[in-house]
Amino acid sequence: MSNYNKVTPEIVEKLMAIAPNRVFVDVDINKDYTHDEMPEYGSYLPEAVVEVTSAEEISAIMKLCNDMNIPVIPRGAGTGLAGASVAKFGGVIISTIKMNKILGYDLENFTVTVQPGVLLNDLAEDCVKRDLLYPPDPGEKFATIGGNVSTNAGGMRAVKYGVTRDYVRAMKVVLPTGEMTSFGSNVAKNSSGYSLINLMVGSEGTLGFITELTLKLIPLPKENISLIVPFEDLDACIEAVPKFFMNKLAPVALEFMDKDIVRMSEKFLEKKDIFPCTDEAGAYLLVTFDGNSLEELEKMTEVASEMLFEAGAIDVFVADTPELKKNTWAARGSFLEAILADTPSLDECDVVVPRNKIASYLKFVNSLEEKYGIRIRSFGHAGDGNLHIYACKDELTDEEWEKKNSAVMDEMYSKAAEIGGQVSGEHGVGHAKMIYLQRSIGDTNIALMEGIKKAFDPNLILNPGKVCDKL
Amino acid sequence: MEILVCVKQVPDDSVEIKFNEKTGTPVLDGVTPIVNAFDGYALEMATRYKEANGGTITALSIGTEKATDALKNCLAVGADKAFLVSDESFNDSDTLATSYILSKAIAKIEETTGTKFDIIFCGLEATDYSSRQVGAQLAQLLEIGQVTAVLAVDPENKGISVKQETEEGYRMIEASVPCVLTITKPDYDPRYPTMRNKMAARKVDVPVFTAADLGTDASKVGANGSFVKVVRNFAPAKKEAGVKIQEESGEECAAKAVTMMAEAKVI
Repeated sequence: MSNYNKVTPEIVEKLMAIAPNRVFVDVDINKDYTHDEMPEYGSYLPEAVVEVTSAEEISAIMKLCNDMNIPVIPRGAGTGLAGASVAKFGGVIISTIKMNKILGYDLENFTVTVQPGVLLNDLAEDCVKRDLLYPPDPGEKFATIGGNVSTNAGGMRAVKYGVTRDYVRAMKVVLPTGEMTSFGSNVAKNSSGYSLINLMVGSEGTLGFITELTLKLIPLPKENISLIVPFEDLDACIEAVPKFFMNKLAPVALEFMDKDIVRMSEKFLEKKDIFPCTDEAGAYLLVTFDGNSLEELEKMTEVASEMLFEAGAIDVFVADTPELKKNTWAARGSFLEAILADTPSLDECDVVVPRNKIASYLKFVNSLEEKYGIRIRSFGHAGDGNLHIYACKDELTDEEWEKKNSAVMDEMYSKAAEIGGQVSGEHGVGHAKMIYLQRSIGDTNIALMEGIKKAFDPNLILNPGKVCDKL
Repeated sequence: MEILVCVKQVPDDSVEIKFNEKTGTPVLDGVTPIVNAFDGYALEMATRYKEANGGTITALSIGTEKATDALKNCLAVGADKAFLVSDESFNDSDTLATSYILSKAIAKIEETTGTKFDIIFCGLEATDYSSRQVGAQLAQLLEIGQVTAVLAVDPENKGISVKQETEEGYRMIEASVPCVLTITKPDYDPRYPTMRNKMAARKVDVPVFTAADLGTDASKVGANGSFVKVVRNFAPAKKEAGVKIQEESGEECAAKAVTMMAEAKVI
């Protein structure tokens, strides 16, 4: 068990000297800081919250807390889904929300440099204005870039463009000791020793505090077309997925959804027929292609369409006007909220499995519904095998829910590991999924992770009790 | 029923359009041309009518060759035929000149195809200049009846029954045909085109009529034939962003609003 020191009034005074008027304690701490977007994983009150504005402030706070043996928890917009940004053992939350400046573009190297608290939405819009694209596209647009990098967020465009990790060129970091350093640089290749930058990406704020990021951009593709493809059932729908790649088609997004999710979304949006063919379809694929000419895209979608009909699609619908595209993606974007609105509580599983195992895995997941009498909803990124599966509490008592959900989660994570999957595709491990990570990767690998953690953070003050740090 | 849907191609209104102060014109480079939203609703309503009651839909547009894309989009979501009217002399037509050109085009299509249109669907307004005049002027020129702001249409005896949106609510109107309807936003969205329909539409050669084909009077079209003279275009003054009050509860929001107004000495 942890034996951290408390944040005393003297410490608060020191924090206030470092960040005047931006230190919050006791009742002044906004309740949002006690959890992320999964309050189901517990509520933890930090002893202080500091809204920092510079790397120097972060360094001073880290040094202070390292000397005083007080936990420090980095936090962005608090939109995480695994409890990575909560003060599990008290201590000081350092919020990057005020470090939200886009510092500049380097058009010769196609990069942008940002502070960690810039919101994904703001960066994406700013890039588009300059005919540039920051390809990672996680569903939560109001997360911070620092948070995205810390969880190696993926999103819908990962199937073509890869994940956040692929776009992080360089970063400035404050180590838990307060020392300031930088990893990576603005170069396209790098074979210079261990990749510390890649250890930082996805480390969920447990190794160092990111204070600045240089991110790779690409020219904005000029055109895109989405296809909505209804199938009779989920099996047929998922079985069509590998055929895109076998036909040398490179969709930018390839999402699947079953009819129940579509119906829930209709109810949530108070809108009928958000997708066509709702009476006949059991499941849908939502596919987007991008490119630089409409002719090229039309050809690509014609080839895709032919393949989809052969694969058993009921029909292939086209969203090629701004309004239809907006409607389509608004519907897709509402799924999680629609599920949340439909049940008093839920738990989620963000496993990633090999693309050719999605169909059999989902069949297994759906069999758990009946086995445990618990409602399960799923959707996700068919193109990269990353599934978002939600167990809904509905009318179950707390006791029943805890028992059943725990059994369902155990089965889902074990099965994923068995077929070569991973615990989390993009949401991270936080403190909520640690047990599943441990079971999935085993003691040897956990020990390696612990060693890395200790190399960065000898006193274990940075974001304790997360990822591999079993306190 | 023989149905005609008038379609205008307009710049995508979901993006922010910049204004060139020097030339006094909106900057439309890179803005996607789309079918005017209200014309899209008109076509969807016409298509639903056709599916329920039979008939044929013809789409008609005035514009440059680029407007062919708009017409092909219409062919993919319900229109059976499409015609484009295109002539440089039609540039800068005001609503009356536009309605005149449409009336001549309708006569030409009726003559060419040997049909007579029963219902002419127009969008309530175009999202670029929002005049709301073309439908009404067209009815006047064709000397037929019109119902504006239509939300639904069904067959009734030998004519149609129409649900009109009014400021107070709705009004049910029975109308004889032929007539002009201007369509407002119903509670459904335009349908998604299917890939097969898109591919078929791409292959269609849309017939183009010129001023000579229509036999339009040169003094009634283009800038010469327009009563409306544009003196100046300008962008509206930008409103300052409002203040967003976000508190835990409605009561707290109200309390904060009152405090802020008191501090600003407006109450």
